Amino acid sequence: MTGATRMKGATRMKGATRLICIVVLLALVLAPLGLPPFAMTLLTEAVILGLFAMSLDLMFGYTRLVSFGHAAAYGFGAYASGWLLLHTGMPLLFAVFAAGLLTGVLAIGIGWMCTLATGVSFSMLTLALAQLLYAISFKWTSVTGGSDGLAGIPRTIGPFGFAALSSKAGFYYLALGCLVGGFLVCFALVRSPFGAVLRGIRENESKTTALGYNTRLYKIAVVAISYGLGGLAGALYAPFAGFANTELLFWLLSGQVLIMVIVGGAGTLIGPVLGAAFFMLMEHQLSAWTEAWALYFGLIFIAFVLFAPEGIWGLATRRRRAHPRP
Amino acid sequence: MPLLELDGVTRRYGALVALDQVALTVEAGEVRAVIGPNGAGKTTLFNVITGTVKPTAGRIRFAGRAIAGLPSHEICRLGVSRTFQITALFPEMTARENAQLAAQARHARRWQPFGGTRIFREAQALADAALEQLGLSAIADRPAGLLSHGDQRLLEVAMAMAQQPQVLLLDEPTQGLSVEETNQAVDTLARFLQATRMTVLLVEHDMEVVFRLAHRITVLHRGAVIADGMPDAVKADPRVQEAYLGGFD
Repeated sequence: MTGATRMKGATRMKGATRLICIVVLLALVLAPLGLPPFAMTLLTEAVILGLFAMSLDLMFGYTRLVSFGHAAAYGFGAYASGWLLLHTGMPLLFAVFAAGLLTGVLAIGIGWMCTLATGVSFSMLTLALAQLLYAISFKWTSVTGGSDGLAGIPRTIGPFGFAALSSKAGFYYLALGCLVGGFLVCFALVRSPFGAVLRGIRENESKTTALGYNTRLYKIAVVAISYGLGGLAGALYAPFAGFANTELLFWLLSGQVLIMVIVGGAGTLIGPVLGAAFFMLMEHQLSAWTEAWALYFGLIFIAFVLFAPEGIWGLATRRRRAHPRP
Repeated sequence: MPLLELDGVTRRYGALVALDQVALTVEAGEVRAVIGPNGAGKTTLFNVITGTVKPTAGRIRFAGRAIAGLPSHEICRLGVSRTFQITALFPEMTARENAQLAAQARHARRWQPFGGTRIFREAQALADAALEQLGLSAIADRPAGLLSHGDQRLLEVAMAMAQQPQVLLLDEPTQGLSVEETNQAVDTLARFLQATRMTVLLVEHDMEVVFRLAHRITVLHRGAVIADGMPDAVKADPRVQEAYLGGFD
């Protein structure tokens, strides 16, 4: 064997997979030309949620760090970018990235605290810290707007142009750019030496420590990166929707994003993006038909866990593996 | 100067004294066995040396450097690698990937969050060399979780060797193996130790394994050293026979 073997569990791009990705990406880039405004709104939200779910996959799928409080990243990012846009006159582009960065920095503290524990206790700490932020968003009215949240968040153009970004299509491209950029960052990360250590932590953390890795530092780093990207998604959501409210920090969202990751396929990066789109599609289709849409989606979720634990992406690639090209 | 030196090392768990004033020196190139009945403190001794457990009292020097109380990942990086009594591997990775991740731990840029082709290549070279030393080259591409128990035990040793340690701590390398598997594993280990002149601290239950591999033997009983010397002398020591209630045979 020549050359270095990358860890097999790291995401690999085979020819056919790559082709499909390029086609889908092209379709996404061309979407604003053909889709009606309502569909564009849905697609933009799906792209934002996709980035959010993908960010959780770094922790959940690649490191087996189960966060029950990933809404903390989304909500904090949303409030941060909303506040910056409302009160500082910072242009859209900078506010979004600053909010993502702020979330990542905050998450160093969150990661430090949560990694004091492992397993279920870790998950409970992420939940507790998210609920803490949720409570703060209610009480710190002067900054968060309390139960009303922040409303009328503008897409400030700023002195450097980028006026196009504030249009419907322009904002969609901004979100898509963040998703693709986030994917490239995650993809490089999980295939790197750092990613190999994450895989070690996932499979046997105490052995990874015994080999001489300071696993806690790696875990804090992955929490910070994951929350940072989740915060970027939230930071996009605030100017997208024009508001940020306490729901974005609520544990319901933390549960939903876990479902998106699992249904899409944990540990695949692309899967969770598909999972987010699938979740949104189901929400819209089912809720048009019945108020109890969550019940039916719950059944779909159970079916995935029982019969296709590898998720949508796993199903798609499994079928191709079963029928190799001649 | 001895490579590894313990002096007055004590570890208490409440009223229980797991290690009681243990003094031990291991010279470079020596294969030292630590034996003793169940609960004698052998695994605690390993945990204290590798930093998994902090000693309550006492000094530990490795290559002239005080290491007692350092975090385990730092001690490991100084050149102390260990295997576990209960097999600890990455079951979904191949044998080569297991050893490669072990080797990567010693690389200066082991944490690099992008690229890494060169780091992987260097780690893989060390991994392949270690697998070769333990006769595992043929199964390098098989998932570790699917290997035979004997090969898994040897893979653990190979992972430790891929780190190019100065001292190797083997915690019951033949634990859980059948008689036949034990013989094969010991043959491989004996050949490997002969070839590499590795400094080894070995905890073992099986006396035949001990007498085949060890140059010197230290006997632990209830946390304290009760004998220390060449295999034949230790075998004949009445206190040792007493501790084992009826001797080795």
